[in-house]
Amino acid sequence: MLSVRDLRVSFATRQGALRAVDGLSFDVGSKEVLGIVGESGSGKSVAMYSMLGLVRDSNVTISGSVKFEGREILGLSDREMQSVRGGDIGMIFQDPMTALTPVYTVGWQIVEQIRAHTDMTKQQARERAIGLLGEVGIPDPKSRVDHYPHEFSGGMRQRVVIAMALSCNPKLLIADEPTTALDVTTQAQILDLMLKMQESYGSSIVIITHDMGVIAEMAHRVVVMYAGRPAEIGPEVDVVRYPRHPYTWGLLGAVPRVDSKNRRLVTIPGTSVSPLDVPEGCAFGPRCEHRMEICDERPVLHGPGDHLDACWLSDAQRLAIRSARSVAGGAS
Amino acid sequence: MSDDVLLRATDIVKSFTSRGKKLGARSVATAVNGVSLEVRRGETLGIVGESGCGKSTLARCLVQLLPVTSGTVEFNGATLTGLSRRQMRPHRREMQLVFQDPYASLNPRRTVGDIVADPMRINKVGTEAEIGERVRELFATVGLDPASLRRYPHEFSGGQRQRIGIARSLSLNPSLVVADEPVSALDVSVQAQVLNLMADLQETFKLTYLFIAHDLGVVRHVSDRVGVMYLGEIVELGEAEVLYEKPLHPYTEALLSVVPELNDTDAPRRERILISGDVPDPSDRPTGCAFHPRCPVATAVCRTDKPAFVELRTGRFVACHHPRNLDA
Repeated sequence: MLSVRDLRVSFATRQGALRAVDGLSFDVGSKEVLGIVGESGSGKSVAMYSMLGLVRDSNVTISGSVKFEGREILGLSDREMQSVRGGDIGMIFQDPMTALTPVYTVGWQIVEQIRAHTDMTKQQARERAIGLLGEVGIPDPKSRVDHYPHEFSGGMRQRVVIAMALSCNPKLLIADEPTTALDVTTQAQILDLMLKMQESYGSSIVIITHDMGVIAEMAHRVVVMYAGRPAEIGPEVDVVRYPRHPYTWGLLGAVPRVDSKNRRLVTIPGTSVSPLDVPEGCAFGPRCEHRMEICDERPVLHGPGDHLDACWLSDAQRLAIRSARSVAGGAS
Repeated sequence: MSDDVLLRATDIVKSFTSRGKKLGARSVATAVNGVSLEVRRGETLGIVGESGCGKSTLARCLVQLLPVTSGTVEFNGATLTGLSRRQMRPHRREMQLVFQDPYASLNPRRTVGDIVADPMRINKVGTEAEIGERVRELFATVGLDPASLRRYPHEFSGGQRQRIGIARSLSLNPSLVVADEPVSALDVSVQAQVLNLMADLQETFKLTYLFIAHDLGVVRHVSDRVGVMYLGEIVELGEAEVLYEKPLHPYTEALLSVVPELNDTDAPRRERILISGDVPDPSDRPTGCAFHPRCPVATAVCRTDKPAFVELRTGRFVACHHPRNLDA
């Protein structure tokens, strides 16, 4: 469905090249939910936006290959890209207030998108908009279709955005932090809705988030990103239960849990590297407690089967570290 | 007031009046609606709730940053409500705040050393040299390089800024620290560093924390006892462990059931209880129990009678006509 190879995005700045995305490759299968997780500045959003031609900056250099259904979409003209975005690829943004324009009714905005991608008449498109709003759980869609975004609550607005993303039966949905701005009960409603819609529309989803919990609920496979590079890629269950990269160990151990109380959280020393100054070797090296000499060389993604990681530690070393940790009582 | 209670709030109400939608109309939003609670010396009391539930307003009322509409706050045996600013001053030193946004809560035009020193200067707790010494000591305590105290807030990362905010809150040796979403703006790995730091400081300085957050995992992690707020009221309060394992209030139960969890063990996950709809407008509160329009177990009585906040089991308070998980 979607195949990304060696995506690189860098911005020329006065301080030198800012490498926001540095060699990202992944595939999304049909009807698959892929989660991309990382902390702020890890390049997860920039990667998605640049794939879709949404990064417009004279200082940006994008290279690599992004194939959607076998067709190269990196470097398409604006006009060609517009037919892909919103048509076969739907997008859900973090902040539903900025994704909707405040000066038109939600119905107008959905109709506009449907008409841009199909040859429906205004009346047909309006019917479809009402139908979609009903589908995403907005009560009384017939009258709500003529309301403005500010008349909806945050959760309801995100439902409108989802309705809009689904309006042209997309094959792929890209959701960038779709629930970060929402409360936990609303988040549950929206995640539930996304999974239901995915089932009935049969689309694939790429969900970008900082929350490992959301990944665990939604994703089939996970990409863990650090400093613009993939640290670990694999099936969700494997990554969460048997994480291989030291960064993933830290990320999972740092989450305070609802289901159990650990006296002490695992912390990763230091702060995220500046994307202006990513080390030549392993990007995580400076913060890694298992750093070795070879870490000055950049590790490539490797691993048995479909669970890959970019780390120089051998399997035996990892086993030793993890068993030492579980004896010490730390979560990993 | 018994010795082990540091702060006691009784029936706190805070309402805000605003102009209504129609000309000349007034609408009254009750942000905090009759909250009573005790904070014990040396404990961490967590307050958890969704946005708009009134948890931040409650915190500001407790430390007298906002005047209460009615109710009383007692602190260290003294009644705070109704005191003038001058009378309040000696008590203020004892109760300090850590804010959510480490970008907005530090003055960008003052050096971080000055920011931490200011509370001591205002309260005249020593000579400038003594204060300088104390600032360096505080910097070391919170894990910052004392050499950086002539820098400005923008030169620090979010996590470091939150450490500066914590150093400032400790500068006057308070007994109570009220932390309002202190880690919600931070990435998870930095969040863990700050939470661990706060735990260490509590032990070293025998601090009492009132910890306010929306993240249920964070609140469980830090708290000895937890209060759950909904629409301006505390609907359930109890020991953290018991409350998370066997919630009494249907709202608590639903809230806990929908937190996305890492399924990294074979333990079965809680059954998800999706509650529909949104939190009602605080200026248009439902009759009876405020949660009844969204409650999966509501009955006729919930629509008419407001449930009392009672101690159902030792140390476990709940306001509900149909409490859950009682048999266990």
